[in-house]
Amino acid sequence: MILSARLARLALPFTLLVLGVLAVVALGAGDMPLSPARVWAGLWHRDELAATVLWQMRLPRVAVAMLVGAALSASGLVMQAYFRNSLASPGLLGVSSGGAAGAVIAIALGWAAFSLWALPLTAVVGAVFATGAVLVLAQRGASTERLLLAGVALNALLGAVTSYVLSQYAGLYERNTQILFWLLGGLEDRTWEHVLMGAPILVAAAALWPLGRPMDLLCLGEREAQSLGVDVRWLRRRLLALATVLAAVATAIAGTVGFVGLIVPHVLRLLVGPEHRRLVPLALVGGAAFVLACDLAGRAAGGLRLGIVTALVGGPFFLWLLRRHP
Amino acid sequence: MVAAASSLNALEITGATVPGRIDGVSLQLAPGLLVGLVGPNGAGKSTLLQVAAGLLPATGGVTWNGRPLAAIPTLERGRCATWVPQEARFEFGFSVRSVVAQGRFAHGDDDQGVEEALARLDLTTLAGRPVNRLSGGERERVLLARALATGAALQLWDEPLAPLDPRHALEVLHLARELTRAGTTMLFSLHDLRVANCLDMVVVLQAGHLRAAGPPAAVLTPDLLHEVFGVRARITEGLTLELP
Amino acid sequence: MTCLRQLFPVLLLLGAAVAGLCAEPPASPIGASVRVVSQTVGTDELLLALAAPEQVAALSHLARDPAFSAVPGEARSYPQLTVGGDAESILRYAPTLVLFANYSRAELVVQIRRAGVRVLIFDRYDTLDDTYANLRLLARELGAEAKAERLIGDCQARMTALAARLRRVKSVRVIAPSPYGMIPGRNSTFQDLCDHAAAENLAATLGHLEGHAVPPSEQMLTWPVDYVVVAGADLESALAPYRTLPPYEYMPAVREGRAVLLRPCLLSCVSHYRIDGYEMLARTLHPEAFQ
Repeated sequence: MILSARLARLALPFTLLVLGVLAVVALGAGDMPLSPARVWAGLWHRDELAATVLWQMRLPRVAVAMLVGAALSASGLVMQAYFRNSLASPGLLGVSSGGAAGAVIAIALGWAAFSLWALPLTAVVGAVFATGAVLVLAQRGASTERLLLAGVALNALLGAVTSYVLSQYAGLYERNTQILFWLLGGLEDRTWEHVLMGAPILVAAAALWPLGRPMDLLCLGEREAQSLGVDVRWLRRRLLALATVLAAVATAIAGTVGFVGLIVPHVLRLLVGPEHRRLVPLALVGGAAFVLACDLAGRAAGGLRLGIVTALVGGPFFLWLLRRHP
Repeated sequence: MVAAASSLNALEITGATVPGRIDGVSLQLAPGLLVGLVGPNGAGKSTLLQVAAGLLPATGGVTWNGRPLAAIPTLERGRCATWVPQEARFEFGFSVRSVVAQGRFAHGDDDQGVEEALARLDLTTLAGRPVNRLSGGERERVLLARALATGAALQLWDEPLAPLDPRHALEVLHLARELTRAGTTMLFSLHDLRVANCLDMVVVLQAGHLRAAGPPAAVLTPDLLHEVFGVRARITEGLTLELP
Repeated sequence: MTCLRQLFPVLLLLGAAVAGLCAEPPASPIGASVRVVSQTVGTDELLLALAAPEQVAALSHLARDPAFSAVPGEARSYPQLTVGGDAESILRYAPTLVLFANYSRAELVVQIRRAGVRVLIFDRYDTLDDTYANLRLLARELGAEAKAERLIGDCQARMTALAARLRRVKSVRVIAPSPYGMIPGRNSTFQDLCDHAAAENLAATLGHLEGHAVPPSEQMLTWPVDYVVVAGADLESALAPYRTLPPYEYMPAVREGRAVLLRPCLLSCVSHYRIDGYEMLARTLHPEAFQ
């Protein structure tokens, strides 16, 4: 734990403040050049064009960024407690590759151009199907090792499906570009429908909130936790469901964005310690801030995809942190 | 917390069978007893403790204070009995104090008895240290402190003395004796037969079967020791062992 | 207190959502003048053919790329969208009309509509008749109906002339190789070119390939290919990669250099410029008909 106990207590209010600042900055950033005065006027509907840009484009984008960041980060935290390994990530059990396969199929078959609901819905279906398949493959009590192996198998299989679709549509330049861009994650043209589709994230986050304490016990040993009064079977099922919903919905509304679920909870744990009652809210807010910051950085750097920025930012920062505090 | 009717056994196991590990083991422990579980490696001691704790499904029945295990909800089970594993694997760096405080989960996460548990296991100076940076003996003491903090009337410990140095091992035995005098029932597995000789009751397992259960004087006879452990025993004032 | 602080982002979100749903998009911009943004390269070509310069607000990100656009030079005088751009990057040009294709991202189209800008989506562009229909559709928006009819008239005249020249010509057998493992079969723009240039696309007739698909490499060596159709700046540099790429390096047509050159954009053209492709291909495959 790098921060002292006193500083750790300030972590959440500080992160909320950072999130607020980033949200304000994000509202002022976009291809349409709007002065702060126009942004303000637009927020109060006094400037029609600015109002459209702000309310229909920038606000949904900021909202989706926060939802996705919170969801992926919380999902990673849950997976790390579930597998008792601080290097676990949301994609272990096939959620991301299932979502990717579903989305890629939707784009390739033209459903994505038909309705903006089509792509996220197929992504969610793919993600849930993948996790369900993992559970069925693992079977009978689903021990950690069996789950991990089943996840590896399914990730490989779904990766093959995605690659197959990509290869089949290589001739259609536009569609291929769309698929590739989706696979790299992105937040352009997010609408309020996408925010609505992200609402399950809020529900899942609320359900996760009170589970902090049992998660502490669970991550020090399942049988010990059971003996101390935790209903381990119920808790594991609930945690897996929540992690899946969070990661699936996040992937559906923003494409595959990697590293957030791995880096953010791990870094937070290094900073403020492993107590989940503190980590759960911090992961939600910190993840939101992280993705928002990455989106801004990507746009400032000339249009880098969100998934690329999270990897570029997350990786080296993580290495630095490890060197400072082994 | 202690059974009102002294005729009720703190722990009663009937015909417990886990395929490949234990076979038809039956056991009755009256409340307030300090009981040692002995047997060669692979005899099924850990399995029996987990069955007694309700952590491993087995055919046959387990009751705590006359109540069948299936009728006790999970949270309440946390208040009634505590199991301590053979080995402490802490993958995360919780502080010693917060791990010991986990023992109060079934009591609504109050902090009653946590400082006391830390003190009894000589962990007060280590209270702020992350548990994944402790030695084997210190980690074992953390597990025991957590078990103590639960205040459960039935304690099931798997080889608690093995990683401890002589001083701490003695302190734990003294602690165990104190707890049983206050009404707690303690069942723990161990290898040192000379220590077993000083307990209220000894249960001997061999290859998954219950070989004997009763006061040490009656159970730890030279014949049984030779048969189960393959050593020659001489009873002098205590118990001395030597190779055949 | 802490609870409230932790709920703050949730409340912010809900407030924004409610406000967003209540917000009304602005009324369409005042002014009768038309400003058009074209989001795809196919619509770029249609737009530049029909619109007056002040009517063109911005072109697609491929407009200046000679590999995809038939009008790279002309496109240079107009602004260009960025690749993967969002609705804002289109709206900054203050368009009154935006041209999309049926494969454009649904959410992008929705956002532009919500900004109160008129949207035109082109979903049929396979044949020349589709192109004529698209030209007329676009011309109606621009007030350039006369110009469109003139253009269509010219196109039809060229087509009639081409058909006349190719009337007694024998069909030449061709394929269009590619370095990434897929070649065009039936239902592709290349097939369309072949149909109008008296050429037989062996990938369709012998290989039975649909769209862009992987050809049977070994069988392909036995196909009686008269010419390979390659795209590039000049013939030698366009053919060069195939001289060392299996299976093409073993094909007699490639070995003997029997190749014809097309401008790269013509292999994917969906506008009236495809006629350039028909003529170019016909001229190189049947020089005797153009004496």
